[in-house]
Amino acid sequence: MTRHRGLGAGPPDEYVEAEIHRLLTEDPAVAEQGISVVRTERALVLYGEVESAQRRDEILRRVSERFPDVPITSDIGVIRKQAPTEIEQLP
Amino acid sequence: MVIRIAAVGDVHLDEDVVGRFRPALEEMPGNADVLLLAGDLTRHGTEVEARCVAREFGGLGVPVVAVLGNHDHQCDQVPQVVGALEEAGIVVLEGNGVVLDSPGGRLGVAGVKGFGGGFAGRCASDFGEPEMKAFVRTTTESADRLAEALHSLDCDLLVALTHYSPVPDTLAGEPLEIYPFLGSYQLGQAIDSAPTALALHGHAHHGSERGTTPGGVRVRNVAHPVIKQAYSIFHLGDHLDQAQVSGIGAGGIQQSWS
Ligand SMILES: [Fe+2]
Ligand SMILES: [Fe+2]
Repeated sequence: MTRHRGLGAGPPDEYVEAEIHRLLTEDPAVAEQGISVVRTERALVLYGEVESAQRRDEILRRVSERFPDVPITSDIGVIRKQAPTEIEQLP
Repeated sequence: MVIRIAAVGDVHLDEDVVGRFRPALEEMPGNADVLLLAGDLTRHGTEVEARCVAREFGGLGVPVVAVLGNHDHQCDQVPQVVGALEEAGIVVLEGNGVVLDSPGGRLGVAGVKGFGGGFAGRCASDFGEPEMKAFVRTTTESADRLAEALHSLDCDLLVALTHYSPVPDTLAGEPLEIYPFLGSYQLGQAIDSAPTALALHGHAHHGSERGTTPGGVRVRNVAHPVIKQAYSIFHLGDHLDQAQVSGIGAGGIQQSWS
């Protein structure tokens, strides 16, 4: 991976986004392909759903660690796991 | 008669998730005849994680049939992963099928992981660099194995189980740019070549639940983040008599199903 220069000097750019997106999948501590990185005016926001609260917290920790100067917020949810209340009929 | 199918994909199990699905799974006997797992059972495809899957989905009192997903290949331990699952009584399909007797009839399930490539008019072609040809041929071979498996089963109702999607419909919600990494029309073609009643897949975490193949077979994306519950239940085959099923098998026409 290319090291990113000039962090903190300007707004988060597309390369940071790309690098975060790859890190989310390729970092074995994360290994998530279902997280979106969305650029807003103030920060990069992480969206998606994962299987546990630990994973959600670990994602933000790893990304912030890797990009300490990029403002990042997380809106990742933990997927519900209740039994279905409805059945789909497929006649 | 009805066959009751429970299904979920993309549970991405590791030790931190063991026990999460169990309360809902315990409610399954009596409500479903079979549980189908649509791949990405583990996080990195290690044997340790596969043992977590075995603990979570083993010993349920209903047969469990699975295909693997791309995550289950990450650590190159596929034989160990399959071994751990099979030890727990989970049937793992890859280019083959299984027929299960249920009170509603004989359910045939044919499965492959599948692969990417994209959809009609916007797909990769078997042309150019060896890497590109290898990519496309992987998909073609997978689709061919699925078709063969579907045709090999003698059953009352036929279900196709894949990880990658056979149609673009159930990818709605994903960025268009990544569709070629999420599925392939060739899987749909294989499904349409047989009298398939239902196709289940996972992989597209941001996709949507329902779709149909060009031949009229219903497709459901059962990825856990899509269904947002421990599993979905489908009641398949109600109001169908044997003559109708045979008619569909002979003609390959799905009109009465849609
Ligand atoms: Fe997945
Ligand atoms: Fe996947």
